[in-house]
Amino acid sequence: MNNTFNIQRFSMLLKRQWLEFGKIYLITLGVAFGVIATFYMVAIWPSFQEMPSYDIRLNFREPLFLIFGFLFISVIASSYFAHFGQKAKTVIDLLIPASTFEKFLAAIFFTAILAVVSYVVIFYLTDLGFITKLRTTYSSLATSTSFNDSRGKFTMVRDNYDYFFSANKMNLYPQLYAIPLFVTAVFLLGSIYFNKFHYIKTAISVMIFSGIWTYIVMNSIDFLTRGRHNKQDFMFSNGPDKDLALWLVALFISVLTVIFWVITYVRLKEKEV
Amino acid sequence: MIKINDLNFGYTKKDLLFKNLSMQLKAGHIYGLLGKNGAGKSSLLKNLAGLVYAHSGSIEVMGFDPAKRQPSLLKQICFIPEEFHLPSVKIDAYVKANAPFYPDFDHQYLNDLLSEFDIPVAQKLVNMSYGQKKKLIIAFGLATQAKLIIMDEPTNGLDIPSKAQFRKIMAAALTEDRCIIISTHQVRDLDNLIDTVIMLDENAVALKASIEEITSKLCFKRMTELDETVIYAEPSLSGYNAVTPNYHHEDSKLDMELLFNAMLTEKNKLKTVFN
Repeated sequence: MNNTFNIQRFSMLLKRQWLEFGKIYLITLGVAFGVIATFYMVAIWPSFQEMPSYDIRLNFREPLFLIFGFLFISVIASSYFAHFGQKAKTVIDLLIPASTFEKFLAAIFFTAILAVVSYVVIFYLTDLGFITKLRTTYSSLATSTSFNDSRGKFTMVRDNYDYFFSANKMNLYPQLYAIPLFVTAVFLLGSIYFNKFHYIKTAISVMIFSGIWTYIVMNSIDFLTRGRHNKQDFMFSNGPDKDLALWLVALFISVLTVIFWVITYVRLKEKEV
Repeated sequence: MIKINDLNFGYTKKDLLFKNLSMQLKAGHIYGLLGKNGAGKSSLLKNLAGLVYAHSGSIEVMGFDPAKRQPSLLKQICFIPEEFHLPSVKIDAYVKANAPFYPDFDHQYLNDLLSEFDIPVAQKLVNMSYGQKKKLIIAFGLATQAKLIIMDEPTNGLDIPSKAQFRKIMAAALTEDRCIIISTHQVRDLDNLIDTVIMLDENAVALKASIEEITSKLCFKRMTELDETVIYAEPSLSGYNAVTPNYHHEDSKLDMELLFNAMLTEKNKLKTVFN
């Protein structure tokens, strides 16, 4: 019997974890759907009126996706090991016949994969539903639609769904796709590191560390390039090396993510009751 | 089945709970682990289950190091903690999610135990009383067919009929390849159940002896007047309940509470008898 990883045992563990964690996850997902839907409802409410209004603004979509997405995945990650702060809940979990590595992988599955993917899907579907409703309401005025897509290309479609998919085919900053994993890694570590008030304590720790980090980095740059370079150039660079810089940031975030996961694994391995 | 060698353990490095503790426990026995509050009963059980880590020394359970928490060992351990939490699901769902981890899980035996303990199977676990929950995890633990059964204060929260049922079920659960360790401070609950007594006191094992050995060396009797042979005595309605050396090979029934108190107050005298 492999004492480190066994696929059958791992799938049993996922099913078992779903029994308890699934409830928290589904409730949080339900709340997420409610909040997202509320924003859309408020925004497109005029289109449900007898005389639909043409003054509908959907410019909240990106900030909503980013801010609420951050909250959703961080809350999910922060609650995964939160019960380890209570002795009564820890004993049975630690003694379930699965390896520490499998228990860690289950945590990654629920927090980094399922939470992120499900948030994107629920946002996407909610957006699809409301935008489709909008297009249906207003499409009676024309049999086809023309628009400039995200890259400024003129496009004409007959199908409303085409408009939706075309308009969202943006692929800007793919380097930042690592950020959700990083966020979940930080809050997952916080959930096992702290015994109480996991979310608040993790958030405060992150703020303090990032403040210190920013201070050190900015002062180091200032010291190393004094009199030779404008500090602002580093922050708002749009030159030929912009992509390289972004990839370096992505690499840095990915490395930090892996480091946080490793620390979480070690904390799980060393967890005592 | 269990070998403990020179175990040093404490929640702080300065204040050790066990100093060079060594002991061997064999299959086919029900051990009763006794000790004062804070003597380290629960901590010893946690060490055996790999829930805490020793500062030094070694523990071997069925050839494994419990601190590594390997699935091969964990599926052979049934640990009934004093404090526990059960999810908000029905018994069926709980069993369906947890039983597959134990390859020898006996569903029929579980159903028999549940009906014997009179547990309402349709009820959600969170809506059950503490005693019902405790009976459920005892029943589940026994149905796993684990070779090592560790119970920390298992009779806490059980009503009087359930305690009798518990003793009956545990006695029936003992097999040649199984080792059962029960820690409790309610020593009367273990009457007629355990076959070996382990007493912890002052960072070490104060006594480890089978019931036979204890009753062959000590005599537990009622006396109207105390004499010089008495090791320890407590006043009772009809005189004294006393512990004396068993010089004349008398048959007597072990009074665990009396033995426990005798060990706490007359440790040196008892040590002389057992050494």
